[in-house]
Amino acid sequence: MDETTILYFIAVVFSILVIYWISIAVSLTYRRNRTARLEKIEITFADIVSRYLYEDPKKPLTLTEITRTLRNVGIKEKNKNNIQFLIRLMIRTQRTIVGSNFYKLQRLYTQIPPYGVSVKKISSWNWYRQARGIRELYEMNQSQYFDEIFKYRNDKNIYVRREAQIALVVFLGWESLRFLPYLKRNMTLWQQIKIVEKLYDLYPKPELKWLHRAYKTDRLFGIKLLMRIIRKYELHAETGYIVDNLNHEDYEVRETAIYCIKTFAVSSSTMEYIKNLYDDIPDATQQGQLLDYIYQNSEIDLDFYMRQLYGTNDDLKLSIAEILWNNGYKEKVQEFYYEQYPNSVLNVG
Amino acid sequence: MWDSAESFFGSYYIYWISVFLFIGYGASLVTLYLSGIILARRSIKRTKQRSIFLREEDIVSATDIPSVTVIAPAYNEGLTIIENVKSLLSIQYPYYELILVNDGSKDDSLEKLIEEFDLEQQDATFITQPIPTASVKHIYKSRKKKYTHLTVIDKNNGGKADSINAGVNFATTELVIFTDVDCIIEQDAILKMVRPYLEEDDKEIIGCGGGIGIANDSVIKNGILAELRLPSRLIPMNQVVEYIRAFLLGRMAWSEVNGLMLISGAFGMYPRKRVIEVGGFNPKTVGEDLELCIRLRKHMEEKKIPYKVVYLPETLCWTEAPSDYNILIRQRDRWARGLWETISLHKDLFFNRKYSKMGMLYYPYWLFFEFGAPIVEFLGVICIIAFGLLGWIHWPFAILLSFAAYLVGCVFSTIAIFMYVKSFDHYTKPKQVVELLLAAYLEPFYYHPLLLFGQMKGYYKKLFDITSGWGTMTRKGFKITKS
Repeated sequence: MDETTILYFIAVVFSILVIYWISIAVSLTYRRNRTARLEKIEITFADIVSRYLYEDPKKPLTLTEITRTLRNVGIKEKNKNNIQFLIRLMIRTQRTIVGSNFYKLQRLYTQIPPYGVSVKKISSWNWYRQARGIRELYEMNQSQYFDEIFKYRNDKNIYVRREAQIALVVFLGWESLRFLPYLKRNMTLWQQIKIVEKLYDLYPKPELKWLHRAYKTDRLFGIKLLMRIIRKYELHAETGYIVDNLNHEDYEVRETAIYCIKTFAVSSSTMEYIKNLYDDIPDATQQGQLLDYIYQNSEIDLDFYMRQLYGTNDDLKLSIAEILWNNGYKEKVQEFYYEQYPNSVLNVG
Repeated sequence: MWDSAESFFGSYYIYWISVFLFIGYGASLVTLYLSGIILARRSIKRTKQRSIFLREEDIVSATDIPSVTVIAPAYNEGLTIIENVKSLLSIQYPYYELILVNDGSKDDSLEKLIEEFDLEQQDATFITQPIPTASVKHIYKSRKKKYTHLTVIDKNNGGKADSINAGVNFATTELVIFTDVDCIIEQDAILKMVRPYLEEDDKEIIGCGGGIGIANDSVIKNGILAELRLPSRLIPMNQVVEYIRAFLLGRMAWSEVNGLMLISGAFGMYPRKRVIEVGGFNPKTVGEDLELCIRLRKHMEEKKIPYKVVYLPETLCWTEAPSDYNILIRQRDRWARGLWETISLHKDLFFNRKYSKMGMLYYPYWLFFEFGAPIVEFLGVICIIAFGLLGWIHWPFAILLSFAAYLVGCVFSTIAIFMYVKSFDHYTKPKQVVELLLAAYLEPFYYHPLLLFGQMKGYYKKLFDITSGWGTMTRKGFKITKS
């Protein structure tokens, strides 16, 4: 390596530096212009929607006028980012409107540009575009595309299949649960939450026959989803399904079951049953969580607590001791302590 | 073989070995940074795309999302504690608790808290503490309805790690966030931080970090960052660039390959059960954040549970950086000691196949390039002086080579600034960007030598067993305006 080589290297590195300076300048300018453009689109769209929904009979808004106005602010086929922004605005607006105006707005959406943009995205090779397309279709309630979306319910990309499964719930409601046993891939926590939330928002009246059919599922994510649905709808009559899963062999199913049962107050006989299941739970942390539920939701059952106090896990024993100590059974804790450490002084409080 | 320093440095072999060692080391670093840029770019893009499908407004309206506790230790923070706690209380999240741990403050922090938040002592005669800590004196809860999610733990002094452990003991939520009481956390930070936990599929998320920004001279209003300004002084300004580079390029790149070994102690989220399983923070090291992350990873590797440590590119937490060189040196001295302690505590990881990539790649990287960089640099300075005195250096060539290395450094900083400007709207004015670039280009001449000095000071203390704790971090405080 000689000085000429180094000088050549310096020239290359310096050129890269200059390219990045230019990129920064372009980025700053683009951002400023873009912000202004998006603001303009937003204001124009808000004006169109309000004029369309609350029409002035003297000056009715024609579709030609709407199309022209949108084109003037940059809603053209070649400006994909502007179109994408408009779709976001459309979804956002639709979410906030209910009643007859909602249907009026849907009618408007079918008549104005962009035409068929979302459905075209579904056939894209890019997962991001596919998932976005599905999302846009269900957010805008375009149920006529159900068949196109349905085939993606088991897609290998998590986002594509998640959006497709949510679309099923949006379009079919409770009936969509019949597909649960046939879903092949795992569902994330968010997927479950989103399905539960959509179901609750759009179909608030439970249809138990679909729920009961779905109980047949042996998919772990399916069991978790059903328990979350029971919790969200506060289906007291269905708590047995949650209770039965408290001692499930899978850690996460048990975790969900413990989480869901906390929403319900159960009968004393069910509580007795839960106490019996307590010993079958193989994880001490989860036992601790269930213990907390038992303590909060039932009278002090001295026999049960004393049995646990002489158990094997130190953390749990400490929790039991805390419950007994704070509920008037200090002498039981002291007795237990002195049995183990006959020569010590109990230093609590 | 060598009877004097002159003969040692004058040796032909030593000269060429040094040259190849330094050039090889530098070239490896440049290659790693270049790979880092590619990975970080991919990671940022992917995070942005994913966020479209999990918007904050969807999370906030959901009912099954995990509950979160923010744990903030405080020691002698009386001057600013009320403002700081109000800021932390204003974070938006449906299932949110704040535990403030008063670590045996000698000032009037606790009295101020009791008065401002109308705190009442709770019955805590028997408390279960899975992680041993210095003894807890009292637990306080607010009588005011709007502060029901605030708990104050008053305990004997045990240090930052010990205080956080006490907070973990008392937390009842699934997730815990560790932060410093004087950090300004973005209002929607938790909503963003829980995303990876909600989306976890086949790998458990054991840690999630968010970008940390410097807010010296910025305006804080009602506990919220009202106006972000660039620091007026050069040292904190350089830290802005340093943080952008470290968080946006470094951490995001490591996150992409699941190689993150550090989640900053200023703002990190963990599942409480995993933190308890590993026994919480290690109070015996001053690099407790790095140490915890490594221990958690080891724990998961040993249990053979697939896991991930992730980072979010957005700046979610704002902090005040050291504003003069004395405090900066003290901070870097402490970080260097923390790194030394953690590296030696986990030396069993070194090329240990049992820990797969962590043992074979990530730990060796930390050893050679994070721990080793200041040493190599220091040795480089010595060699330049020695070889220069012996007349072995061809100065025109050396100056050109140094200039080339300087330019390469400038390119990395410029790319980091470009990526930040392109992705986020914190610094949008051309003047701010020019100032950041200038600070980055001046960095090697005065800021970097200070860092090197601080790091070598820390290593020196460890090498000669000189006891030194956390040291005092004097802060100027944010510009607070009341509404």
